[in-house]
Amino acid sequence: MGWLSELGRRLWMLWHGRQFDADLEEEIRLHLELREQDQMQAGLPPTEARHRALRQFGNEMSLREKSHMEWGWQWLEHLLQDVNYGLRAMLRSPGITLVALLSLALGIGANTAIFSLIDAVMLRSLPVKEPARLVLVGDGSDCCVSDYFPNQILYSYPFYREMQKKNQVFSDFAAVFSMMSRVHGSVEGRTEAEPLNVQLVSGTYFSTLGVQAYAGRTLTDEDDRIPDGNPVAVVSYRWWTRSLARDPSVLNRKVKIGSTIYTIVGVGPQEFFGTKVGESPDLWISLSMQKELPPYFDGYGNNLIESLYLIGRLKSAVNMTEATANANLVYQQILHGFPDAPLNQENLEKLKATRIELTRMATGLSELRTHFSEPLKILLVIVALVLLIACANIANLLLARSTARARELAVRQALGAGRARLIRQLLTESLVLALAGGAMGLAFEAGASHLLLRLASIGADPLALDVSMNARLFFFALGVTVVTALLFGTIPAFCATKVQLTESLKEGRGITGAGAKSSLARSLVVTQIAFSMLLLVGAGLFLHSLVNLTSVDAGFNREHVLRLQTDATSLGYKEGVRLTQLYQQVEERVRALPGVRAASYSLFTFNEGSWNNPVSVEGYVSADSHRDVHHNVVGIDYFAVMGIPLSAGRGFRPQDTATSPKVAVISETMARTMFPPGSPVGHRYSRGSDKDIEVIGVVGDVKVNSLQEAPQPVDYYPYPQQAQMLNDFEVRYSGSLDAVISAVRKGIHDVDPHLPISNVTTLNEQVGRSIADQRLVAQLSTFFGLLAVFLSCIGIYGVMSYVVTKRTNEIGIRMALGAQRTGVLWIVLREILMLAATGVAIGVPIALAADRLVSNMLFGLKPGDPITLVCATSVLLVVATIAGYLPARRASRVDPIVALRYE
Amino acid sequence: MHGYEIANAIQRTSDDVLQVEEGSLYPALQRMLIKGWVRAHWGVTPGNRRARYYQLTAAGRTQLEVELSQFERVIGAITRVIQMA
Repeated sequence: MGWLSELGRRLWMLWHGRQFDADLEEEIRLHLELREQDQMQAGLPPTEARHRALRQFGNEMSLREKSHMEWGWQWLEHLLQDVNYGLRAMLRSPGITLVALLSLALGIGANTAIFSLIDAVMLRSLPVKEPARLVLVGDGSDCCVSDYFPNQILYSYPFYREMQKKNQVFSDFAAVFSMMSRVHGSVEGRTEAEPLNVQLVSGTYFSTLGVQAYAGRTLTDEDDRIPDGNPVAVVSYRWWTRSLARDPSVLNRKVKIGSTIYTIVGVGPQEFFGTKVGESPDLWISLSMQKELPPYFDGYGNNLIESLYLIGRLKSAVNMTEATANANLVYQQILHGFPDAPLNQENLEKLKATRIELTRMATGLSELRTHFSEPLKILLVIVALVLLIACANIANLLLARSTARARELAVRQALGAGRARLIRQLLTESLVLALAGGAMGLAFEAGASHLLLRLASIGADPLALDVSMNARLFFFALGVTVVTALLFGTIPAFCATKVQLTESLKEGRGITGAGAKSSLARSLVVTQIAFSMLLLVGAGLFLHSLVNLTSVDAGFNREHVLRLQTDATSLGYKEGVRLTQLYQQVEERVRALPGVRAASYSLFTFNEGSWNNPVSVEGYVSADSHRDVHHNVVGIDYFAVMGIPLSAGRGFRPQDTATSPKVAVISETMARTMFPPGSPVGHRYSRGSDKDIEVIGVVGDVKVNSLQEAPQPVDYYPYPQQAQMLNDFEVRYSGSLDAVISAVRKGIHDVDPHLPISNVTTLNEQVGRSIADQRLVAQLSTFFGLLAVFLSCIGIYGVMSYVVTKRTNEIGIRMALGAQRTGVLWIVLREILMLAATGVAIGVPIALAADRLVSNMLFGLKPGDPITLVCATSVLLVVATIAGYLPARRASRVDPIVALRYE
Repeated sequence: MHGYEIANAIQRTSDDVLQVEEGSLYPALQRMLIKGWVRAHWGVTPGNRRARYYQLTAAGRTQLEVELSQFERVIGAITRVIQMA
């Protein structure tokens, strides 16, 4: 422990530094005086005695310094000096400092903001016990409910139970419904229903994750044993806060959803949001209750309805390879063992070839990741480039300032300051600047990340992501700041201290090294322009691609359509006549409203997932017969509301009822690829157990899930003939949207005053959200592209001003010898154009190469889109000329007499 | 002893053979303070002046023994070499 008490003494000294110095001084004074007295007693005269005492003692000053330095704190004292000096230097040129600080704050803030999203979406581990040991069975790439055989992504509840029993590699095993149920329910004692996000999970879910309840208990396997038997719920901390105001007696409260009353048995921990990044369930309810919870899934006892993700916790000695082998073995056993498995020859072969994979899920499940991984990476590169451009600017500013400070530095070196010491001082100044910028950047980041979150939201709700400050983010920002300081500080510091002393100390402006410095400044500007070119081309491509996307013909008319969702299921309506009547009454009531042209319920509109499986056409087989058909269930007015043109046959009529022959309208692609040549009207087909569906009409193709997709086979059924919960309600309107919204709300509530209405928006908005990722990249890359150009302009302006000042003599001489003002103007402008052209020339090949990397983010564009290249080049050249014009004009106004006299 | 006394003591005991720069005593004392080999406290001299008195600590005594034994080994070695010559 010797070193510890030694450190203690050193710190003590640091704290009492002044006292130590005073003590030492007093001690030495005493020494000298005593020695002097002794000498006088020995008979020397006073002056001689004093001199001898001093001689014998040695160099007092240097010994005192040496004693002081023994304590080893001079590095800190120097650092404090440098910081102090750096702060004063910053305040001395407030203009430069402000520009530098702002660009740094913007650069560092933008980097941190983008990184905060990357962190939240891609990097952060789930807040559960040992997340690294959690694996997902399958890859989680599909969702919802399926009856595909053999499914390797979604699994049935009986499969979950079998696998839980049979596997030998997981210590805990859980199932979670592959989608969240967005329902409405009311807290007991309240009349108003509120939207609730319910996640169905197995009773083992919380114990597998190792998550303890904040209050009460979590779900247990017992809760999940009896179908419909145990209506209990664990609520999230957020919902407890939001809806119950952290009521301490939460465990006595109940929530009614549909016709079931759930008892709240626990509150989840504050940081726990489930296992899907970007979602945050309000309630967790056991899978055994699925038939009671809207929309009343019925998969609890069914071997072949697959709707679950399975999550296992690896036993401690088991690795992924062993786990995968065992999981596959068990998978085959279970599917072969189901008595009702459709094990015909074809399916047996499919099953034999099926391998399931295990996916690590330390960072949770996420659809966001598939949407945003690439855009976020691209954006991070973009903001990093912007920061580099800002760094180049600051380096230039510092270079210019170091020229102004050349004499100061020369004097310091002449007085004995070492070069390393000076470089350290200059770097400290840069670091002070960068840290100040970084601190401002963090303040900026807080706002920016929330803005980003809103821009990135695909659904109606903002993404439930935590982008608040955390240790990882802080160290990222700090790291960026330090790297930034080194980037912009190093070169100027080395250049500034490489001074020929005598030259610098002489009067006059002919400072050596200026030539090298301005060529360095020029290459920095060229780099800036090259980077700006890269960013502009990127922005141009993303914008062009976005324009292409928005002008895609979706097959429906997205203007003037209001869409909302009603949630009849939460009121306890079940599939059947009552529900059909409700839909019809709402449609009828709303259709009669002024400003409404048509109104219809439907299962889907656009980008809301799909219900798809293959169909078989009677007496005809084509190459496309095996294709999945997307099914939609709609009201009579649907095609009128959506503006989908009818190209053959008829649409639905009130006469198409539950008892009349089954009918369908099909899309042109389906008609062309799956039916015999000629009109398909009158042909029949079957879908699973639904036989004898007659085609009564053909409508135009529509986009189902994305604007990028190729034409899909789609068929439509009238809702009286298809037992389905419909939530989507669409209204084609004319006139003011706001007026229509309130009228429609009132109309719906006239039919049923309790019917919950949610997600009120327009079709246009909904289509827009489907390209939120492209829009995000296009908007931000444009913003940062322009910012980059702006920063480069500052760079050009700064460097050209500097060059012009340096060349004042030369210009003066030229003008004295008869050069015209326009000639001088041209000399300077030519140089600017040369710089810009060089930058562009370097930037173009880089941009073309980078193009290939983002090509799968682009829609309807070939890489190397010439329009974009030409636009970016001309923007840069024009803007560079404007930035350089002011210094050039100043050069042309140089008065030769003044310029020459100055020397 | 305070600094001046130490300097004098060195001079006297060595019969004025060791005449170092007196001031270099002070950085050395600081070094020993840091290491914890000596303790310092302020006292009053017989001449009624304030002075810093230094005192060897236990750690300092141990260190002294280490240094002494090392020194003796070196001296012994040198002596032997010289005697052989």
